[in-house]
Amino acid sequence: MPDLGALVHSALEAAQEGEQVEAYAEEGRQTEVSALRGEVEGMQFAEARGLGVRVIRDGRLGYAWAADPSADEAQETVWRARDNAALAEPDEHNVLPAPEPFTPMPEIYRGESAAVSADDKVRMALDLERYTVSRDPRVTKVDLAQVGDAVARIAIASTTGVDVEFARTDAYVVVVTLAVEGEETQTGFSYAITRGLDTLTWEPVAEEAVDRAVGMLGASKPPTAKVPVILDPFAASSFLGVLAGALNAENVLKGRSLFADMAGQAVGSSVFTLVDDGRRLDGPGACPFDGEGVASGRTELFTAGTLNGFLHDTYTAHRTGDGQRSTGNAKRGGYRSAPGVGTSNFFVDAGDLSFDELLAKADGGVLIRDVSGVHSGANPISGEFSVGATGLRIDGGSTAEPLREMTIASTIREMLKGVAGVGNDLRFFSSVGTPSILIGEMTLAGV
Amino acid sequence: MLDRELVAEVLTAARRKGGDFAEVFVEERSSTSIRLDDAKVEELTTGLDRGAGVRVAQGTTYGYAYSNRLDRDALLEAAAAASAALRGEAPGRVVDLTDRFGPGTNHAERAAGSVPAADKVAWLRDVDDVARSTSDEVVQVTGIYFDSLQRRLIAASDGRWIDEERPRIRLVAQVVAKRGDVIQTGWDGPAACAGVEFLDAHPPHVTAGRAARRAVTMLDSIPAPAGEMAVVVANGCGGVLFHEAVGHPLEADAVDKEASVYRGRVGERCASELIDGVDDATIANGWGSYDFDDEGEPSQRTELFREGVLQGFLQDRLRAAKMGVQPTGNGRRESYAHPPIVRMTNTNILPGSEDPDEVIRSTDRGVYVRGLGGGQVNPATGDFVFGVSEGYLIEHGEVTTPVRGANLIGRAIEVMSSVDAVGSDFETWEGVCGKDGQGAPVGSGSPTLRIARITVGGTGA
Repeated sequence: MPDLGALVHSALEAAQEGEQVEAYAEEGRQTEVSALRGEVEGMQFAEARGLGVRVIRDGRLGYAWAADPSADEAQETVWRARDNAALAEPDEHNVLPAPEPFTPMPEIYRGESAAVSADDKVRMALDLERYTVSRDPRVTKVDLAQVGDAVARIAIASTTGVDVEFARTDAYVVVVTLAVEGEETQTGFSYAITRGLDTLTWEPVAEEAVDRAVGMLGASKPPTAKVPVILDPFAASSFLGVLAGALNAENVLKGRSLFADMAGQAVGSSVFTLVDDGRRLDGPGACPFDGEGVASGRTELFTAGTLNGFLHDTYTAHRTGDGQRSTGNAKRGGYRSAPGVGTSNFFVDAGDLSFDELLAKADGGVLIRDVSGVHSGANPISGEFSVGATGLRIDGGSTAEPLREMTIASTIREMLKGVAGVGNDLRFFSSVGTPSILIGEMTLAGV
Repeated sequence: MLDRELVAEVLTAARRKGGDFAEVFVEERSSTSIRLDDAKVEELTTGLDRGAGVRVAQGTTYGYAYSNRLDRDALLEAAAAASAALRGEAPGRVVDLTDRFGPGTNHAERAAGSVPAADKVAWLRDVDDVARSTSDEVVQVTGIYFDSLQRRLIAASDGRWIDEERPRIRLVAQVVAKRGDVIQTGWDGPAACAGVEFLDAHPPHVTAGRAARRAVTMLDSIPAPAGEMAVVVANGCGGVLFHEAVGHPLEADAVDKEASVYRGRVGERCASELIDGVDDATIANGWGSYDFDDEGEPSQRTELFREGVLQGFLQDRLRAAKMGVQPTGNGRRESYAHPPIVRMTNTNILPGSEDPDEVIRSTDRGVYVRGLGGGQVNPATGDFVFGVSEGYLIEHGEVTTPVRGANLIGRAIEVMSSVDAVGSDFETWEGVCGKDGQGAPVGSGSPTLRIARITVGGTGA
């Protein structure tokens, strides 16, 4: 089995005169163990590798991919991508990036984490479940108690001179609890992600998942009203995907962004700052370069409410012109798809208010702890949304009784304008992060 | 794809610590996707995927390992890794592997692989032309064509050997319409397990026209109301409601974990007596159909509700064995890179007897839902949401102004119990359902339904 660097270079050997060819290869190993009722519920081992090739010929783009190709199959993949290019329409902005210097990020690869044995993971999952169900008499079972880790390697090489490789490790713990009282069941979710299981403390994850479930017991449906809303980091992070879509330069160029033509304007409240930073090491999306080998960087999309610009890959930067450069935001969903604009570590910058200070400013309002149906209830193009929510009433500066079966609705623009306070509790959920956010007013629908 | 001797050797290795059974799943999949956007055919992608997963199970404990190498060493390594999940010591046996044949649920008349890519590109051109000619207010059109052919081999230690092909085809149109500052979108995307003959019955121009009409109609919309009211759900849309509110909590893995509101309620009335519901993987060329599920169990039509009374759950091998019932053929996986889990296939509410127009005429005030964006449920609590992409007000028995930004929220048993009218019409909808990180193509279908009272989550009065 050739190493990844050799694989991408053998693909490039099939390149012809007058075309640009890029080969992207990745390989990974993953292990995941879940525990249920004191036993191993499931144990999964994965080993995968694949190649994706872009061919650009006369401005026409073709893509082809193959799982675990031999050197010959790698070259065949280039031929298939070339055939596909012949049927696409020319676009002068289809270009591959030139190589550029980047600073390696050795911190994102903790080789020793791979040394956590399967037996140790089993022990950890069993301990995690046992600890979770021992915290509160109303939580005697879990829906999920899982630990896992992964190591991934990526190599990209192109006929324009890109030739890069990197490795990363990830480890995570996920807990979903079930709290039961009488006829009622509530669930609580928490998780943590780090670079290696050796640096992961799972007790707080279990504790939080227990607290979040127990705190919902006795929830009722509130009356319909317009109220101040605090989105905790779990709830607020659910909206970041919608924002990412609207800040994607491809959507802006194609008339599919609610922020099109608004660069330079005060779109949001003055306490709202939103950043994409692929070099931020405490974010799980940290990466030295993007999906086409362009160096990662820091892009401040909103500064104190003003929209500065958008996320770009090489295509959108070239099409935008005016000296626009790629912001290093070409993302891949793996080797099976061509790169497109996406986020790295995408987060709302922390503010200076403590959680208690936010509560004090939201009297008579609601703390939202979970939202559901964002994929179907939020329109990333018009910015309108209505999503299911659960949370706690806020009374006299502290949280009171739990609420369920309600929706919160607004538009993204109104929500950004209405940000009345940002907490200092920034927390990352996979590669998106946010602190608690106070919104002056939202429509809450219930009875 | 692999010879029987090697598969038997892998299964034997996987049973080194015994267990209830061992299973090998091998897959080869070729796919084509073409994307038209911004009036250009932007990208053609072809993919070749292959890999194998080995699973061993004992009770509801399982070990799963996969690789996309299909050589003997890689398969034996996967067998050794998967079997590490078990604690037993005595090896288990492997019965002679014997073919099992299915009825050919997903026969393709004209395989997509035999059609030149240029024809597929032309279908997308149609989508763009038709959508843009629908209205001057159409400002952007995206068309996506997708086909794949998945060949699967499933072999298990009880001797099952199943080799099945599944063709898939889908054509999606997404349209953006704009008037002044108002932007709205419309979507349509019929799909099937079939060949390109599917597009004769669902021509690209019809799909494009529907998506464009939705986008343009919604330009006239006002914000949806907020609060409890009657909701009439058009035929086709109620299937997704049923999928979320009822289907997920009826999946036996949720039931087994005591994370389902329907646990212990088989034989009880859990929905209006007007509700008859099934999960049916045997519908010819259905988006969620197959001969055998991804554990090699034959597909079937499973009755879920009869006159509102809960009949049973959706099962895979592990859960069925534990509950002492027969599997229902609902063990599915996204690919070789995923262990099977309990999933729906085509989940339908069966048509009733009422004239759908009369259902609307007899509704004084409420919301009429004609398009949807999907939904989500918490099976343990039964709380679900359901996004409305095309909705209208009902005023004095008539469908009037379009509304936007609506979501329906409710609790499964309460909402299904408050259905007070079921129409005689029936329509289907195809989607991709996400669960435990796996996507599964699912169909859903329903007649027109009225829910007497449910919370509509808009922003308007």
